[in-house]
Amino acid sequence: MLAIKIWNYLKGYVIIKIEGLSLERLLNLALTNDIYLWDVKRLNYFQVEANVSIKGLRDIEELVSKAGCKLTVLKNRGLPFLIEKIKHRKMFAAGFVAFFLLLIFLSSFIFKFEINGLEQTPKEEILELLEKNNINIGTLKRKISTEELELKILDEFNYFSFIEVQKKGVKLIIDVKEEPIPPERVDKSYPSNIIARKKGVIEKIVARNGTAVVKAGQIVQENQVLISGVIESESMGNYLVHADGDVLARTRYEANVEDQIVKKVEKETGKFMKQRGIKINNTGVKFIKDIPYESYKEIVREDELIDWDFLEIDFPIKLITYEYKETQITEVKQDIEFLKKSNQLKAIEKINEELFKEAKIASKNVIHSVEDNTLKTTVVIETIEEIGKQHIIK
Amino acid sequence: MKKKVEDIKINLSEALELPMDITLDLPKISLTGNREASIINHKGIIEYSDLMIRINSKIGIIKIIGYDLEIKNILMEEILVTGLIEKIEILS
Repeated sequence: MLAIKIWNYLKGYVIIKIEGLSLERLLNLALTNDIYLWDVKRLNYFQVEANVSIKGLRDIEELVSKAGCKLTVLKNRGLPFLIEKIKHRKMFAAGFVAFFLLLIFLSSFIFKFEINGLEQTPKEEILELLEKNNINIGTLKRKISTEELELKILDEFNYFSFIEVQKKGVKLIIDVKEEPIPPERVDKSYPSNIIARKKGVIEKIVARNGTAVVKAGQIVQENQVLISGVIESESMGNYLVHADGDVLARTRYEANVEDQIVKKVEKETGKFMKQRGIKINNTGVKFIKDIPYESYKEIVREDELIDWDFLEIDFPIKLITYEYKETQITEVKQDIEFLKKSNQLKAIEKINEELFKEAKIASKNVIHSVEDNTLKTTVVIETIEEIGKQHIIK
Repeated sequence: MKKKVEDIKINLSEALELPMDITLDLPKISLTGNREASIINHKGIIEYSDLMIRINSKIGIIKIIGYDLEIKNILMEEILVTGLIEKIEILS
């Protein structure tokens, strides 16, 4: 029914009112002349309202006079009438088109910069770089190459470990992740704090500029302010400086390695079994057979049923071969002393990955513990290292 | 004579299990609850008001009585009546 309604709307129809005494006769005449009427409503004894297509209207007008009735058109409905209406309202149509053109035109410019992830670098420096490369608010979007811009920013700020430039709508989004800034790069004109890069116990704190807010022996958490850039002065009130100084702290690295003393090793016995299946699109059909092995490895291989490669068509029906290889599990007991050593090495390797380059190792502690079948090795390394990191005050 | 031909037609269509509305040109009336009645194979409207619709057919006059009756569709073959249908009578 909906389809018919849409069809009628597209073709256009009129709502008519027929007045007269022989209305039934008129309806029958319309029937025999193949005129399609719908929503026929009896208003009262001598009036009827109905819908008829544009083509049907012409035919029914002839019949109306034959049956001695009177016909009035109440309303025009449908697309052809709407188009006719718009044809007379040229400015409206022009406005409609102009709206879309303007929308497309305006959305082809950059209207806003969004820079995320800056901690130590002032935002202005990046904006300056953008300006140097002729990227301003109002630059055409297609003139900006994101990859090129990424390289240019990385060139200038080589301590960025990650950068992504995206064009989203009318925004240019720059996401960065910073590594600790090299001292010669620090712009001292911006007020900043020194915060903790990681958790630790303060050994020594020297504030060259700013106020030290933590004391030696104190435990500090990650991102806690160590040297504040806010200086409270009785004569001048509070003012902001670029904090500078060294903070040495005792930090702790820990790594756990677990290994099984009695290991299960799987070995293939050489026996195997094949089973076939069919895959249509992504749904698979498997011809089920019982697998006679207790433990096995499954290998699935997909083959084209018909080789369509030369036509470059990915044929949706695929042949699948399942191969089951029987395996035997044997238990091997390992030498504990050897295992302890290898665990310790693995743990130290793990720690080395995250260890700070200039850290001095203060102590090393290795604990082995045996639980059921597992040997657990914990290596704890304590170091003394610089944990301060610049953080711009916004 | 005409009666005989008619009888043969009925027997034949019953024997061959052919649908009667096609072989005998009978009207087919289908109801959807009391809301909608469709009459296929009619022979025109005799009377139409919102309380009663009378439709001609081969077997006589089909009288539909109800409230707010409205002809939703009207075609050569089919009439679709909507509204609250109370009674359908066939006067032959």
